[in-house]
Amino acid sequence: MGHTIFGKDIYWMNFAGLMILTIIEVAAVGLDLPNDTTLMILVGIGVPKFIMIAAIFMHLWGDDDSGVLTLTALFPAFFILVMILFIGLTHPEAATGLPEWCRPGTYN
Amino acid sequence: MSIGIGIVLFMLAGAFSNGVYNASYVPMFLVGLLVTFCGLIVWWRQDMSFDGHYEPLAQGVPFKNIQIRKVAMWIFLMSEMMVFTSLFTTYIRYRTGIENCQTIFERGDWIAQGYTVEAGEAINCFEPASALISTSWFHIAPGAINTFALIISSFTIVQALRFAKMPVGTIDEDVRRKKIYRYLGSTWFLACVFLTLKLIEWFVGFTLPDFLAEYNNGHTHIASLYEEGYLINAEHYHRHDGSWHDPVTGATMLADIRVSASTFYVTTGTHGLHVALGIIGLTYMTFKAWTGGYTPDNAVSIEYFGLYWHFVDLVWVLVFPFFYLY
Repeated sequence: MGHTIFGKDIYWMNFAGLMILTIIEVAAVGLDLPNDTTLMILVGIGVPKFIMIAAIFMHLWGDDDSGVLTLTALFPAFFILVMILFIGLTHPEAATGLPEWCRPGTYN
Repeated sequence: MSIGIGIVLFMLAGAFSNGVYNASYVPMFLVGLLVTFCGLIVWWRQDMSFDGHYEPLAQGVPFKNIQIRKVAMWIFLMSEMMVFTSLFTTYIRYRTGIENCQTIFERGDWIAQGYTVEAGEAINCFEPASALISTSWFHIAPGAINTFALIISSFTIVQALRFAKMPVGTIDEDVRRKKIYRYLGSTWFLACVFLTLKLIEWFVGFTLPDFLAEYNNGHTHIASLYEEGYLINAEHYHRHDGSWHDPVTGATMLADIRVSASTFYVTTGTHGLHVALGIIGLTYMTFKAWTGGYTPDNAVSIEYFGLYWHFVDLVWVLVFPFFYLY
């Protein structure tokens, strides 16, 4: 991968970007913000960090075989979504706590 | 090696079955370790002489003309992704499904219900490790330093690969050898720093100079999670900083935090195990680089290991904010 960002070596720039994002991440926690705001910041920083490592350090962008390897990497995404949405984010009372109109026998 | 690892895991499970130590499994455990070690030696002996010739390429779609080892590494990493997803899912499930200990404390009804140190009855609630770790900059420090260590180590391994791939004639071979083993050695060192800090954070703790106490709520000692009592068998846990103490009644809330501690230790421990395995691989690769074993023809070996190492970094990018900070 011989790409550059702003004329600089892509690995150096990626490395610098990751370091800056991590500093912001740690600082955000030290600022004692409301819980939801902290969560949004952490997710907002975590996602680009994840993409930067996968795309540039792991060569999922810019190489001849990047396309097919990216698809390979995305293959478990469906299962990951299912696990997080339908197991991780359910609640112990998810079934019993459903509103009356969507319980068996009262669909109509 | 797979057989050896299998024996090790089964014997380990047998030795600590139901929380009771059984020494009769130890000899076979050691046999498993020996088989694994012998497998590693055979693997390394084969790899030491690998000069890059006969790097098999896939012939069929969709991976046509891509190195089979590279495809295999990606498929392995995807299975690893599923492992960590199951751990994250468990964490999310319990974190959202079990009421937060601090919320219960602030609501105050735990006193009437008798969930106090005095009564000896504990309430089941979720106490994220971040409640202890993010109390001061110094508690966060080991995790934060580890984050930087992993990011730097991702960069150093990329640099090792870059020098290994430089075409013959564009770089002096001795300079290439030195660059590669120094970058790989740096990666090895940073991985060791990571595990050392993790052990300090879990079991040892550390002491600050007096002048820094004012930045740590007046305390000079940074207690480890073990000292705090944040353990997988903590069925009668209360915070040691007194923050679960009710000044009016004089009662202190008692909590059963086994689920929260288990999700924390299993997830971060699994990640730590991956770092430990990486150290074993890096030890060998640094040695091979020191002997001048890497050339542009066989540099792909560094690339494949690099994929694994970046994945370990990638997982930490998610573990650190959600287990340590939030």
